[in-house]
Amino acid sequence: MSFNIAIAGNPNCGKTTIFNGLTGARQHVGNWPGVTVERKSGHYSFADQRFDVIDLPGTYSLSAFSAEETIARQYLLDEGPDVVVNIIDASNMERNLFLTTQLIESGRPLVIVLNMMDMALEKGLEIDSETLSTLLGAPVVPVIGRTGEGLDLLREKILRVATEISQKSRPIDIIYPRDIEAEIQKINTLLEKSPLAERQVRWTSVKLLESDEETHHAVRAVDGGKEILDQTNDSIARIERLFKDTGRAVISHARYGFIQGAIRECVVENLSDAVDSSRQIDRILTNRWLGLPIFGFFMWLMFKITYDIGSIPMAWIDSVLVALMNFVSGVLPESMIASLLVDGVIGGVGAIAVFLPNIFLLFFIIAMLEDTGYMARVAFIMDRVMHNIGLHGKAFIPMIMGFGCNVPAIMGTRILESRRDRILTVLINPFMSCSARLPVYVLVAGAFFPENAATVIFSMYVLGVVAAIASGKLFSKTILKGMSKPFVLELPPYQRPTFRSLSLHTWERGYIFIQKMGTVILVGSIIIWVLGYFPTEVTLDRDYNAERANVSTQYAQELQDLTLKYEASIATDSSTYYSEMLSYRASSGYHMLNTQYLDIKAKLNASEQAEIFSLKQQEIGDITEQKWIGQVGKIFEPIVRPLGFSWRESVALITGFVAKEIVVSTYGVLFGVGENVDEGSHGVISGLRSSGMTPLVALSFLVFTLLYTPCLATVAAIKRETGTWAYTLFSIGYSLGLAYTLAFCVTYFGGMFNWLS
Amino acid sequence: MFNSKRPRHQLSKAIEGDLRLSDLKPGEKGRIQEIGGSEQFRQRLIEMGLTRDAEICVDKYAPLRDPLELIIRGYHLSLRGMDAQKISVERIS
Repeated sequence: MSFNIAIAGNPNCGKTTIFNGLTGARQHVGNWPGVTVERKSGHYSFADQRFDVIDLPGTYSLSAFSAEETIARQYLLDEGPDVVVNIIDASNMERNLFLTTQLIESGRPLVIVLNMMDMALEKGLEIDSETLSTLLGAPVVPVIGRTGEGLDLLREKILRVATEISQKSRPIDIIYPRDIEAEIQKINTLLEKSPLAERQVRWTSVKLLESDEETHHAVRAVDGGKEILDQTNDSIARIERLFKDTGRAVISHARYGFIQGAIRECVVENLSDAVDSSRQIDRILTNRWLGLPIFGFFMWLMFKITYDIGSIPMAWIDSVLVALMNFVSGVLPESMIASLLVDGVIGGVGAIAVFLPNIFLLFFIIAMLEDTGYMARVAFIMDRVMHNIGLHGKAFIPMIMGFGCNVPAIMGTRILESRRDRILTVLINPFMSCSARLPVYVLVAGAFFPENAATVIFSMYVLGVVAAIASGKLFSKTILKGMSKPFVLELPPYQRPTFRSLSLHTWERGYIFIQKMGTVILVGSIIIWVLGYFPTEVTLDRDYNAERANVSTQYAQELQDLTLKYEASIATDSSTYYSEMLSYRASSGYHMLNTQYLDIKAKLNASEQAEIFSLKQQEIGDITEQKWIGQVGKIFEPIVRPLGFSWRESVALITGFVAKEIVVSTYGVLFGVGENVDEGSHGVISGLRSSGMTPLVALSFLVFTLLYTPCLATVAAIKRETGTWAYTLFSIGYSLGLAYTLAFCVTYFGGMFNWLS
Repeated sequence: MFNSKRPRHQLSKAIEGDLRLSDLKPGEKGRIQEIGGSEQFRQRLIEMGLTRDAEICVDKYAPLRDPLELIIRGYHLSLRGMDAQKISVERIS
């Protein structure tokens, strides 16, 4: 025999802690069908019975205004769980019990959990749970979720309630003022005669009086529905006349009246013992003067930890990958398969895998911000800023995270409650310049603006922020207009987080990233590899080997000439060469002449190397040009030509779609310095300079790189979080369009005024 | 038709010239009279305990002057100034 248990409660009541406590690690995180609201389910065994537990979204009510409320309500009414476990924050009973009054009316068997008993005690609250249990008509279990105290008793109560279902224990009714009860009775009488009689009649009546749209729909659809709705309208009109407020407001008010009565009977407040420690902490953390600097410090610390500490395991992963590549290329003979494995699979997925430590650290810190309760303060402090773009204060966190990596940042939009806010934040996030774009800036700015590299790079970051803000304003006034929800934010008490819960949260979110690496990024890397590998046979117009041999011969000849002259100059004073050197010889003698000779010899050697290297680059460029990837670049070249880009930029931007840092390694390939190029590489810098790119075009290229379609991983994250291809494709199209427009402006207007040419 | 689609009850609109929640200074307390704004906003606040006659205290303003932090029914809640303006209150000393 197995039972279905649903956990319901307000946000911040410790629901997830209890859920984790009951199910341990045996849980599954997914989405509710059709919406991106997290759906957590798990199970546990107790007394040889299996209990399947579902963690409903945290809601303040069952009024079906938000996606969360609709989900919770539909689950309770349609799925009919065997037991509903209602978690209540014991230190904040009044508001928490509001949902309880609705749960009681929904008619499902109920177990009430008084969570955070320790905090209630700290606040000076003494709660008589026996009395409360009588008043609410359901067992009440005091629990401290953080330590797990009381969980065994909870399991026992759940079992008892689940197995007692057949006995039909009569739950209590929330009693409303007499005038409302009279109207409820009138509707009840009609409902009992209708096909809706088997549903919770009282619940339906109350919901009708609350003008609940879904219930109205359901009633209208049945026989006699019209009559019931007419009665409802009469009743509401009567209530509004009597109470001078809407039926909804009057009933909510009455619920609070019931709650206050219950609390009076079972809670003793010892105000002298009360310590509102959260308020004390907030005197500093959200202080008018200190609040912002402290928040700034926390953000800085978050970055510091993520990137500095993250770079240590990053190096380990990197060396493991290099070892793996070497191992595979050592074991397998040089072949297509070997190249696919090494360059395609390991190289491609590895380029993303090195970010794993950063991402896990970031998620850990975010879990910490959430579990302690500071996240709500972030929203409080930053709301003024984010409100300008039509966003909720909490949206600041994913925006800042975007500077690190857009993928966790977009996944971090889950902290936002409204879908509209989530979508808006997801859409503007890619403009926050992620760390993968930095190598591109460093390379290109270093090649073309060696004097002002830092300024150029910084302006890219600023441009990204400006693009995000402007797009945010634009979207909130156009495609995402009017879906905004009022800002009603609870500032929950601060809590000490448990390591267990932090690691669970981190793992849940990090795992999604790992899944993505194994799918989307793997496929993308293989595609890029295929484009770069085929066709295997290319015919070159020039014979590079011969040209190189030619260069070597020329230099060998020059060197020989030089040596002969030098030897002659030592042997005979009458040599013309000697006369040129005479002054030197007079001053410092023979030694000086020798140095001079060696110097010229070294210079000859160096320029020989450079010429051969340049030939090599041209050869690899020519080869790449004939590979599919080069052909693709050629196809798109006419499109990017107005921006001043050549087929090389076209290729780099296409491969940058897999991951932006690949732009750098693509240039490495195009200029033949190998794939393991870093942004300081001289080969690429000289290659770029000699490729005919002007500083203006370089700037335009940087602007394009900053703004255009985020990498494959980001696209996957956008698809995941928005849940639709429509927004995903829109994001790709919009960012491409914006990148093209702005890059074109740079090239065109810059060219008009002859800037940086 | 649905009641929710009808114009809201006349009397539930806050009257011009009333003292608003946003007029209270940090540390001041008030008793809620009426809540204006959209039906959804009203209902959300009522569900969170901002019912008529409930006692509400303005605890502080955010560092950038908006939003405000309120204390209602023993917990802390934050609203924007523009929303607090839709709530009429009676000052209690």
